[in-house]
Amino acid sequence: MSTTTKPTLAAKAGQKGIDPRSPRFGAGITGVLLLVVIGLNLGLASPVPSIVLFALITALFAWGAFAGVQRHPYGALYRALVRPRLAPPTELEDPVPPTFAQGVGFVITLVGLVLGLAGVPLAIVVAASFAFVAAFLNSVFAYCLGCQIYLLLVRAGVLGRSRGAAAA
Amino acid sequence: MPSYRCVMTAVIVIVALLVVATALGLVWKWTQGRVRRTDGSTLIRAADLPSGTRLARGATLVQFSTEVCAPCVPTRAILGQLASEHAGVTHVDLDITHRPDLASRFNILQTPTTLIVDRKGVVRARIGGAPRRDSLSTELTRILEAA
Repeated sequence: MSTTTKPTLAAKAGQKGIDPRSPRFGAGITGVLLLVVIGLNLGLASPVPSIVLFALITALFAWGAFAGVQRHPYGALYRALVRPRLAPPTELEDPVPPTFAQGVGFVITLVGLVLGLAGVPLAIVVAASFAFVAAFLNSVFAYCLGCQIYLLLVRAGVLGRSRGAAAA
Repeated sequence: MPSYRCVMTAVIVIVALLVVATALGLVWKWTQGRVRRTDGSTLIRAADLPSGTRLARGATLVQFSTEVCAPCVPTRAILGQLASEHAGVTHVDLDITHRPDLASRFNILQTPTTLIVDRKGVVRARIGGAPRRDSLSTELTRILEAA
């Protein structure tokens, strides 16, 4: 690839593409924090520290899902600390898929948090484990769970029946 | 103080998660972009393609995408480039968000999925995930020469 080619702006007109490495960096932090949640929950006598950290992770997923992945604090951290040390991105990515993935993460962690607060044993550990595997695969292998879930919802008829319904 | 047994449980669970996630990732990575030949029993009809597009006289690269699919974008670029390099080959990108019927009929389990369709509409090969450029190009040449 020659260096003179312009980065492909994959985002729709009027929308700025994001550096695809940014969500993977964020998923790396999320993955580490989720392992800490699991460690605290299983290792300590009190579940409180793990619940507090897990609630924080859930809130961060909500931030990414509702405010958009471009405004996520990990994105700001990436731009401030990591991006200056790397070569410019060869291409930019549409923010819609990683934003949808944040929503998937939010749903998984919220279910775990609610069940955990309701006293269901190991709910936090199980939810954190699922979220960890997704975050790890995203961060290390660039696997996109959001893409997969979206497709399953389309096939189940939950999403995208009519034109324009998925535009929001 | 945390008990020794609880700490050991936590360590074992964390190590197991890392091992399982790595294994899943390696298996997934291995399947991605591989060209798989099909038995030739599946047909694409003109009505399946967006209006205004038709099957090419050599082969058509039919890509299935959704709006929330990051690897679909580089796939579009690879397939577009391959189509321009091989005479008689075109690239068609279908957003199955609006066509769940196609997702079911062609059993699309991930996006992007690419079908290599010959001039008669027979699906000759299938690639799940972002295609590997070289193996796709080789397969395309084989199909074009056999026709």
